[in-house]
Amino acid sequence: MAKTTSNDHDMLAIAQSCIAMAKSAGAGDASARAYRVRDVSLDYRDGKVEKISESTTRGVGIQLYVDGRFSTVSTSDLRPDALKAFIADAVALGKAITPDPFRALPDPELYKGQSSVDLQLEDPKYPDVSAEEGRKVAKVMHDAARAVKGSEAILSVTSSFSSNLVENWMVASNGFSGANRSTAFFLSTGVSAKDSDGRRPEEYDYAGSRFWNALVDPAKIGASGAQRTIARLGSKKGETMAMTVIVDNRAGGRLAGMLSGPLSAGALQQKRSFLEGKIGQQIVSPLVSITDDPLIPKAFGSRKFDGEGIAAQPRAVIEDGVLKSYYVDTYYGRKLKVAPTSGSTSNLSWKLGSKSQKELLADAKEALFITGFIGGNSNSGTGDFSVGVVGFRVRNGEIAEPLAEMNLSGNHLEFWKKLIAVGNDPFPYSSLRTPTLVFENVSVAGT
Amino acid sequence: MSDQTGISRRTVIGAGAAALATVAVADLLDISTVFAKTGPTAGVGYFSRFGVTEKLIRDTLSAALSKGGDYADVFFQHRVTNNLMLEDGIVNRASSNVGLGVGVRVVKGDQTGYGFTEDITADGLRRAALTAAVIAEGPAKTAPARFKVMDSKPNRYPVKIKWEDIRPQQKLTLLTGLNDKTFKANQFVRKVNVNFMDQGSVILVADSTGRIVEDAQPMTTLYLGVVAEKDGRRENNNVNRAARQDIGYYTPQRLDRMVTDVVDKTMVLFDAEQPPAGEMPVVMAAGAAGILLHEAIGHGMEADFNRKNVSIYSDKLGKPVAKPFVSIVDEGTQDNARGAINVDDEGNAVGRTMLVENGTLTSYLHDSISAKHYGVKPTGNGRRQGYEFAPMPRMRSTYMLPGPHKRDEIVASVKRGIYCDLFSNGQVNIGAGDFTFYVKNGYMIEDGKITKPIKDVNIIGNGPKVLEQIDMVADDLKIDEGGWTCGKDGQFVPVSQGIPTVRVSAITVGGRAEKKG
Repeated sequence: MAKTTSNDHDMLAIAQSCIAMAKSAGAGDASARAYRVRDVSLDYRDGKVEKISESTTRGVGIQLYVDGRFSTVSTSDLRPDALKAFIADAVALGKAITPDPFRALPDPELYKGQSSVDLQLEDPKYPDVSAEEGRKVAKVMHDAARAVKGSEAILSVTSSFSSNLVENWMVASNGFSGANRSTAFFLSTGVSAKDSDGRRPEEYDYAGSRFWNALVDPAKIGASGAQRTIARLGSKKGETMAMTVIVDNRAGGRLAGMLSGPLSAGALQQKRSFLEGKIGQQIVSPLVSITDDPLIPKAFGSRKFDGEGIAAQPRAVIEDGVLKSYYVDTYYGRKLKVAPTSGSTSNLSWKLGSKSQKELLADAKEALFITGFIGGNSNSGTGDFSVGVVGFRVRNGEIAEPLAEMNLSGNHLEFWKKLIAVGNDPFPYSSLRTPTLVFENVSVAGT
Repeated sequence: MSDQTGISRRTVIGAGAAALATVAVADLLDISTVFAKTGPTAGVGYFSRFGVTEKLIRDTLSAALSKGGDYADVFFQHRVTNNLMLEDGIVNRASSNVGLGVGVRVVKGDQTGYGFTEDITADGLRRAALTAAVIAEGPAKTAPARFKVMDSKPNRYPVKIKWEDIRPQQKLTLLTGLNDKTFKANQFVRKVNVNFMDQGSVILVADSTGRIVEDAQPMTTLYLGVVAEKDGRRENNNVNRAARQDIGYYTPQRLDRMVTDVVDKTMVLFDAEQPPAGEMPVVMAAGAAGILLHEAIGHGMEADFNRKNVSIYSDKLGKPVAKPFVSIVDEGTQDNARGAINVDDEGNAVGRTMLVENGTLTSYLHDSISAKHYGVKPTGNGRRQGYEFAPMPRMRSTYMLPGPHKRDEIVASVKRGIYCDLFSNGQVNIGAGDFTFYVKNGYMIEDGKITKPIKDVNIIGNGPKVLEQIDMVADDLKIDEGGWTCGKDGQFVPVSQGIPTVRVSAITVGGRAEKKG
C-alpha cells in the first residue's frame, strides 16, 4: 500500500492501512497517528560550528481495542511486512491482558465542531531557512554576547539555532480523520563566565516563534544571554527567611506546571490529586484566572483537535481563584462518569494584571526575585512541593545582589493564596504563558 | 541535567560489596588488543536481517567522509520495548514500541556533524551520511577496506531466556501477584499501580578506523506505586527496580522486599513532618543517596564541559577536592547493573574510571572527542539515548568506595540534622556547581538518634563545597538497584549509583520552618 524505500511515504495512507491491518487481525476498533518530523539544529561555540544535526524521523502509533482490551503500539519500522507482523502480534498480545469496560474510542460527537479559526502554525518560508542561515544568525548572537559590558569575564559562548517541521495524520475507526502541520524556530545563547571564587555561573536567553521573520533581533538574544550571566557573578547564599517573592515570567511555568498533574482525571481517579473534590472552591488567590485556550493564533500549544481527536475549545480552568474544570480524557472520564474535556493542556491564557515586571519590583521594594528553578519536586497527592531557586535580592525596588543555593518549599493550597499581583507580561515562548507573579510572606531556605 | 524518573531506595542483599569484587578489568582499556578478529562479514551478525552488509557500512562511511573529516562512525539500533500496566486490580494496558534506525556521525577536531534515518537502505544511509559530512570542508577520505571485530567483548548481562520468548501470562502473573501482596500487606492501602517494562536493544557500531562491534543490551524495570488512606488523609509513594537481566531477576525475595519497602515508606508519611529550613548536617543513607555524587561531581567531570572550560571542575584535575578517605568511581562493569555496558556507543571498551582517588581529582569521563582533545584514552563514557542522537560523555554507575567510619558512629555524631533515605530526582548547574536532590523519605537526627520521620524536601548545595564537607564515610557501600535515568542535553540514558553512609557537615535543607533553631 505504501512505499517504504524513501522518506516520501504517504503517511496518511500508512495510518489508514494500520487501521485496516488492525481490524483484519481482530481488533474491534483502532486509531492511528502517523507522524513525520524534520529537525535541524546547529550549535556555534566560541567562533566556530560545534555541532550540526539534521534529520527526518517518522513513525506510527496505533491504539487497539480488542475484545474489551486495550493496547498501544508504535514503530519506526514501516516496511509493510514488518508492520503487518507487528500489528498482528500486538493484537494477539492485547488478548492476553484483562478486559476493561472503560476503554473506548471517544464519542464521535466530540470530533465535531472544530474551530474554523486560522491558527497560523506553519511558516511558508520554512524550506528557505537552512542550517547555513542558522549559522549566520548564531554568529550574530555569539558576537553580540562577546561585545557586552563586562564580557572579559566570559569563558564560553554557545549560540544555537533549531528549526522543525512537524506533520501529523490521525485516523480512528469510528470516523475521525485529521491532519496538522506546524513549524517552529528557536534561537538561544548560553554563556558561562568566571567568578572570582572559582564558580563558573551560566545563564542563557532564548526566543522562539512559529515564523522565522517574527523572531526577535538575534543580537538582542546574544547580548541578553551574556548580561544575564554577568549579573550572576558574585552570587551568594542568602539567609533563611520569609519574604515577598517575585517569580520571573520565564521561570513561572515551572510553578504553574506543577498544577497540571493534579488537575488530570487520571490523578483524580487514582486518588493522587490534592485537587479532588475542589470544583467550585477557592483553591488559589482570586487574582488567578486561567483559561485553557487551544485557539490562540501562532501559539506553541495551539491545535484544532487534541491527541484523541476531540475538537479543541477554550475552557475556563480557574476563574477568580475558583476551580472550574479538570483535564479529562475519554478513559478516565468514563471511569469517573464525567464528560471528557481534554486530557492534555494546550495554551494557558492568564488574566493579566496592569503592571510590568519593573513596576512590580518597584512596588515590592524588598523581595527575592526568582529567575530560575533547579531540581525539586511536587507531590501531586498532597500538594507539598520543594524546589531550588536562583535569583536576586530586590532592595528599594531595584534588582540588587545575586542569590544562589536557596530553596522554596510550601503546599500549593497555601502558597497560591499568597499571590498578591500578576504582571502584564505572559511569557510568549512557552505554551504555559505565565506572567510575572508576586507572592507575599513566602519562606525561603538559605543559610 | 536531571534524573527524571529514578525513584528508588537502597537495595537488596549484597548488591554493593559482592558486585564490586568483579569490577577491575583494566586491560579492556587497551583497545588495540580488543579488536582482533577479521573477516568479510563477521562484523554484521544481528543486523544482517535488515539487509545490513559490510559493503553498505563501507559505502556509508565513504559518503560520510566525502568532505574529509577526522573520523566517522555509524550506529545502528533495533530496540523493542514492551510495557504492561496494572491499575485498579487488573492489567489493563499493554504497549509496545519498535525503534529501528541508524545514525551517522562525522567528527572534525571537536566539531560534529550528525544525521540519522529510519530508512535502512543504501539511499537512506547515504543521505544521512551526506548530512553529517557538511561539518568538514576538505578532500574526501577513504573508508576502511575491511572491519575488525571486537572478539573479547565481555558479557556483563547474560540472559537465560530472551524477553521475546517470555509468554505474556508469565509477566501478567508478576504484576497481579505484586498487586495482591501489596493490598494484603496493609489495610490502609487504597490504590496500587504496577508498571513493568522489558527492552531488548541491539546496537552495531562501525567506524572509519575499521572497528565494528555489536552488542545486545537487555533492560527491565518494575515500578510499584501505592496510595494509602488513613483517618481521611492520603499519602502516596513508590519504589522501583531495574536491571540488565532476564525474568530471573524478579525473585520472590526481591518482589517481597519491594512490597515491604513501598508500604513502609508510604505509611511512615502519615507521621512525617517538614524538616526545619536552613543549613544543617545531613547523613546520606547507603545506596540511592549516590544521587549526591551524580549531581555534586559526576556531571561536572564529564569531559565535554571541561573541554569547553565551563565546568566548576575545569581547573581542578590533580588537586585535592575531598578528605583523603574519599574515593569516587564511575564504571560500567557491574554484572546486570542498569548502568552496565559491554561497550560504549562509540565502540570503546568500558572499564572503571577513578573520578576522585584518596581525595584528589583524578580523571574526567571521556568520549572520543574529549579524549583526543586531552590526549588520553577514551574511558568508555561515550553514550547516547539512541540512534537519533550523537554520543557525548555520560556516567554509567557512579559510587563512592567504602570509608573508615561506621554507620552508627556517623548517626551518633549528629546533634541536630537529617537522615536522607529515599530520593526521587536531582539536578545540577555545571558551571556554578549548585545541585539539588529531592528527598521523599527521611528522618530527623536529634542528639545522635534517629527520631521523627520527614518528607518531601529538596536539598541544595554546591558541588565542590559539599565534597569538602563530606567528613565521615562508612564501610557499608550499597549500589542502588533503582531505575535511575540521567538526562543531559535532551538525551536520557540509564545509570546506576551508590554510596556508603556518609555525613555532610553542612548543607541547605529546604524545609518550611521560617527560622532555624
